[in-house]
Amino acid sequence: MEYSATRNQMSSYIIQAQEEEIKRISLELHEGVGQNLFSILTGLKVVESGIKEDHVKNHLHEMTQLIEKTMQEIRLLSVELYPPALTALGLLPAIKSYIKVYTSTFGIVVELSSIGEEKPILEQNSIAVFRVCQEALTNIAKYADTSNVRIDLKWSNSKLKISIFDFGRGFQIEDLEKNPYSLGIATMKERMLLTGGQCEISSKIGEGTSIEISLPI
Amino acid sequence: MTEIKGISQVNEVCEGLKKRIGCEFVALALQNEVGPDVRWHYASGNLNDKYKRITVRFGKGIAGKIISSGSPMMLIDFPNDIYGKVTDHPIMLAEKLVSCYAVPIFFNSSPKGVLLVGKREKYTFSEDDQEMVQDAALELEQILQNQILGLGGYV
Ligand SMILES: Nc1ncnc2c1ncn2[C@@H]1O[C@H](COP(=O)(O)OP(=O)(O)OP(=O)(O)O)[C@@H](O)[C@H]1O
Ligand SMILES: [Mg+2]
Repeated sequence: MEYSATRNQMSSYIIQAQEEEIKRISLELHEGVGQNLFSILTGLKVVESGIKEDHVKNHLHEMTQLIEKTMQEIRLLSVELYPPALTALGLLPAIKSYIKVYTSTFGIVVELSSIGEEKPILEQNSIAVFRVCQEALTNIAKYADTSNVRIDLKWSNSKLKISIFDFGRGFQIEDLEKNPYSLGIATMKERMLLTGGQCEISSKIGEGTSIEISLPI
Repeated sequence: MTEIKGISQVNEVCEGLKKRIGCEFVALALQNEVGPDVRWHYASGNLNDKYKRITVRFGKGIAGKIISSGSPMMLIDFPNDIYGKVTDHPIMLAEKLVSCYAVPIFFNSSPKGVLLVGKREKYTFSEDDQEMVQDAALELEQILQNQILGLGGYV
């Protein structure tokens, strides 16, 4: 019993340390590098407007476009790494910002609903829930062969419940144990357990896969 | 935005290429009129309409790498012989492609688009195949260039 408690504390500590580091990189990209690129872009546009020679102007224009593309990619990357919205605004806005990136990346439409009043959650727990949703959506893009996903959040006084359903091809849950290299789903469950919550997965061939997460709040 | 799908010459070039190579999927990505986004504007042999919602990520996947590097690329046995992650290749996932060959489309001598042919089986595109795709890309450059002049600016 005692042994298991320290182990959980260790796991939590390792995960938290990693998340802190990812968060730092994400914010550095978003606020540091991103802001600097923006300043360079603004400067180049001023220069561009003052130039008469066509070929120099074109060249400069290509450069500003390259900067715009890089800025865009940095924005998307930081949402995937650790959405800035999670710290600033909370879980739901973070999920919304991730879904936008997800749809424009994979072409899969996600219908999101949130019932009940959104409650504040410890960041440590909301990042866990976010990572579980992220892994679920990544699996859907990789395996589900679907164009539509539904995510429902239900907030009550003591609990947040999230269900993710993909209307996809489904798979045999029993096959999970056969593949020692697939750790995504196992990690989802483990992370939710560490928050004191749960993660259940069920799937039917030809109908779709369902992921049910619950978190005490 | 100019409807690429409606330009019958683009249609002809792509369908012709698809038949000659004997592939299942052809698609054309182009940079939008405004802003830096590159999107799939045309596809044939598609299984669904996910391609319409995909914005090609700069430097990622086949199309993103081609736009950033300007060089052709081939995948022979997706997801087994890839650089990067499986999820860096959304068009392969969306269309269940296993192999593809893709080349850049140039405007004003910078890569502004991608022409991609794909199969849903393991395949190595031959020198001849590759040449056909490159020829088709040149044709498309011409057609789109004329359209741009005619329609007052596409890229
Ligand atoms: N939404 C889904 N639809 C269909 N099959 C799925 C879905 N999610 C998971 N699977 C199946 O379950 C297996 C295990 O998924 P899991 O996330 O644990 O591992 P993985 O995605 O293969 O690898 P990893 O997540 O470690 O990179 C997958 O290989 C896939 O066959
Ligand atoms: Mg996974």
